[in-house]
Amino acid sequence: MSSAQQDRTSGRAGGSFKITQEGVVTTIAVALFVVFSLVLDKFLTQGNILALLKNVSILGILAVGMGFVVVGRGIDLTMVAVMVVGVAFAIWLSTQGFAFGEAILIGAALVAICGLITGILIAVAEVPPIFATLAMASVVYGGGRVAFNSDVLYAPSGIDWLTYIGSGILFGVPVSVIVFALVAALVALFLQFTRFGRFIYASGDNPATARTSGLPSRTVVIMQYMISALIAYGAGILLTGLVSGINTRLYNSTLIYDVLLVVVLGGISLSGGQGGVRNVLVGTILVGILINGMTIMNFSYTSQNLIKSVILLAALAFDAVINPRDEQTSQSGDI
Amino acid sequence: MMNFKKVAMAALVATTALTGAVSARDIEQVGRAAYLSALEGKRVIFIPLSQGMDLNQAWTAVWERHAERYGFDFQVRDPNMDTAAGIRALQGAIADKPDVLIVQNPDVQTYARALKQAQAAGIKILQINMQSITQTDSYVGNDWIEMGRLEAGELAKTCLAEGAPSKKIVWLAGVQTGAANIYMREGLDQVLAENPELELVSDQPADYDSEKARQITETVLQQHPDLCGIMGIWDNAEVGAGAAVVAAGKQDQVTIVTNGAGAATACESIEKGMLDVVYNFNAPIQAEIAAQQISEFLQHPERPAGSEATVFFGPITRVDKDNATGRNCWTIDQLK
Repeated sequence: MSSAQQDRTSGRAGGSFKITQEGVVTTIAVALFVVFSLVLDKFLTQGNILALLKNVSILGILAVGMGFVVVGRGIDLTMVAVMVVGVAFAIWLSTQGFAFGEAILIGAALVAICGLITGILIAVAEVPPIFATLAMASVVYGGGRVAFNSDVLYAPSGIDWLTYIGSGILFGVPVSVIVFALVAALVALFLQFTRFGRFIYASGDNPATARTSGLPSRTVVIMQYMISALIAYGAGILLTGLVSGINTRLYNSTLIYDVLLVVVLGGISLSGGQGGVRNVLVGTILVGILINGMTIMNFSYTSQNLIKSVILLAALAFDAVINPRDEQTSQSGDI
Repeated sequence: MMNFKKVAMAALVATTALTGAVSARDIEQVGRAAYLSALEGKRVIFIPLSQGMDLNQAWTAVWERHAERYGFDFQVRDPNMDTAAGIRALQGAIADKPDVLIVQNPDVQTYARALKQAQAAGIKILQINMQSITQTDSYVGNDWIEMGRLEAGELAKTCLAEGAPSKKIVWLAGVQTGAANIYMREGLDQVLAENPELELVSDQPADYDSEKARQITETVLQQHPDLCGIMGIWDNAEVGAGAAVVAAGKQDQVTIVTNGAGAATACESIEKGMLDVVYNFNAPIQAEIAAQQISEFLQHPERPAGSEATVFFGPITRVDKDNATGRNCWTIDQLK
């Protein structure tokens, strides 16, 4: 645990004398922001900045959930599957005579059970997280495919709170952005100030030591996957509010990799024990600025993907050059 | 007298017997027996993009009804949007040698070679709604260039009218390599050439995803607050554009035009004000036309595969809030 704290403090203090990946990404984000503000008409307007944030709120919430797992040296590839199937299940229940509120709660229970199973596979059966979650994602999505015929399920109309989180505005800020900020703040506080949060860093930094020191490692892992599943479910409900339905086809998109990219890009190492919500926010905002700028410039889809990938790859490569890995910095479990 | 009675009786009996025999033997709808025997036991395989889409569900509901009624075997081999799985499904279908193969192409290139192989193997191929560059026995589906012209024409009418907010329009494509996209874009370009004052301010693919459509629309609305119209390719994706427009409070300013299979969900989106006009290509009627084509293939086994190249463009109905009812808004249960 102390080593986890050391890593974090050294990473943070490192900003003053050593360039961190977070620093690199922040610099790129700021540079892009300045360039776009100068070059693009109406980029630097309140409306556009809010639209930019609103457009990454789903990605951001998912990335916060993913980051929560990755600091504990895990990875959760089930998030998108759980998000679409959980919400689709809730919507389906609401067409079977359940009130929408009840359906949402039952959906949450189902999602928590999915997280529980994933957690047990990883913590008790000791299946490596990347394989356990990859397989679970297929199981969850496959189950959904069998249960619902259609890819797109529309939420029942007339649910005011759902419309509100999707298109409402509070104090001049879209509610979806506020929801994203709340989720990020809650997870940040939880990781930073609760004993359980510190346990996650400890078991992410060195699982064997954490366990021999008497930490409830298995419970910690199981809880992590349950919470990330519920965060994904929350993102799905927000998505339903935004576009009035859920498209289960999202499972087949690159969304889960985008989420992972945001997490890694921001500087959370896949080897666990390092980083936090701040890193996720930096990564999310960089991706948000990039997509927004390129949409304004009306770049084609292919060139957008190319430019996005090149910039992200450059950030990772630059970090590898200035912070080379050696025996001391690399850890077992690095991917 | 007795004789006459006998004769009359005999005549009566004979007539009755004769008429009875006629009704038992000869009341036969012309061609029905031939039709039944041509279809009985034949095999039809359908390789869709994905059965998760409303149009696919409508088509298969109709074809399954035909298959059940007339005793041919109908199978769906769903690659679920995976083109590699689609190629495998096609290869498997070629090996199975069905009488008719129905294919919905993911894009113009991917299946082109496999379709040639299937045709060379003597399988008659019907392409439905999404074409390949390989032309096969039949294509039943949309006239996509006309669809592009209709949607762009709708926007030209609205946005060049007196009092329009601006002459700015947006094209929200699906996937740029898809046949439907390429042809709709051609239709749009034709209308743009005819109306040079119309300004295309954004041309981004939303990947048939409502959230992507919402994000693009949200960003574009910031750049062009006076936007006049948006045209898209699938109602289920353009509801996202509608959500962005509604969130910005501009539903009276921005006209959203798209097309779709004619499912009830599109009508609900029109009622909610998320879509303004849906060019409805009525998937159930497309399926009936395709069923006619299938039955023609099966009734003419003497015509070899690839000997004809028939094209039929299905109906397109303009649906807005005034006629978003009845048969313009089907549900799957009504089709079974």
